[in-house]
Amino acid sequence: MNRPRALFLILMTAAAAAAAPGMSPAFAASLGLASQALTPYRTCTITATPSTTTAVVDASVRQASPTSNFAASTTTNVATATTANRRLYVYFDLARCSPAIPATATVRLATLRLYVSALPASCRTIDLFRVTASWSETTITWNNQPFGTTLNNPASASATDTFAAGTPAGCQNLSTGAYVVGANPTADVAAFVAGTATNNGWMLRDDVEGSTTTYTQTFSAKNLGTLAQAPQLIVTYVTVP
Amino acid sequence: MLLMIRSALTIPVLLVLALGSVGVGLAASLSPAAASLAASRVSTPRCTTAGLLVIPNLSGSNVASVTVSGIPSACASASIQVAVNNGITSSFGTGTVPAGGGSVTVNLAVAVAATTGEELDVVLVGP
Repeated sequence: MNRPRALFLILMTAAAAAAAPGMSPAFAASLGLASQALTPYRTCTITATPSTTTAVVDASVRQASPTSNFAASTTTNVATATTANRRLYVYFDLARCSPAIPATATVRLATLRLYVSALPASCRTIDLFRVTASWSETTITWNNQPFGTTLNNPASASATDTFAAGTPAGCQNLSTGAYVVGANPTADVAAFVAGTATNNGWMLRDDVEGSTTTYTQTFSAKNLGTLAQAPQLIVTYVTVP
Repeated sequence: MLLMIRSALTIPVLLVLALGSVGVGLAASLSPAAASLAASRVSTPRCTTAGLLVIPNLSGSNVASVTVSGIPSACASASIQVAVNNGITSSFGTGTVPAGGGSVTVNLAVAVAATTGEELDVVLVGP
């Protein structure tokens, strides 16, 4: 009587033991997708050319023409000179991103791209500053610009980012007919997206204004009407870090 | 008689132990994802958390290809998938991250008209 029952117990135990390890591989296989690396990014590119668009706003201000507005110009400038410094104000409407960038998104990279049409013979450092007051494309002048008329203000140390441009060999941006590289106001855009700072765009100026030699950077403005040369802000973000 | 009682008790005990071992096995295999499953989300590993520069390349006023740069070497040989949707037209392209990372240009199956605020989705699969 005991022998069949003992055999039954042995078989049951063996079957259970076989089933247990058998289940794990089956489930592991069904969860295999989770073990594959998936790295998703979403990118919004803000650019536009029509002169009437408000998605991109750009205008230079010129010390030598302190009450004039240059929003209608087809080029923008950054220049250092004794009394003819120039600054560039630029703004991108992040609300144009469709779908909207969630406030909880993590901004991995923001890149400001300006198309270079002329460079100075000296490699100059260009500073980007987050503008903290509103301004209007069609009314901004040297005299009423948000950062005021004092040269080298704000201090270079407070710049969001910098890049170098000029024709000498080894300069970060030394070619005309291309977009600049190295202008990455990522922290600012992250603050705009999160709602911890107001987006008034950026001001670009030469790192050392008031040079006795004039050095001028020239970029294509949206009013040029060429999409392939229009100012761009590219924002790369993730919704799940 | 005593042997019969002992055997009668042994069978359920062994069954419970056997089923228990199955349960433990399942729990062990599911435990890393259990919290994510409860949250309706599955965590997947990333080959990078770096900020990649994703540039839409224009042909006229259309986005014809996308260049992704700044890819670290940890993503080398990953498949890269790019999707563009401007609200009217969508397009798709795939490529492979070169050895050592760097940059890769992905051609879209169909050029898509560039629009203000256009978004691109980029997914690196693997390595």
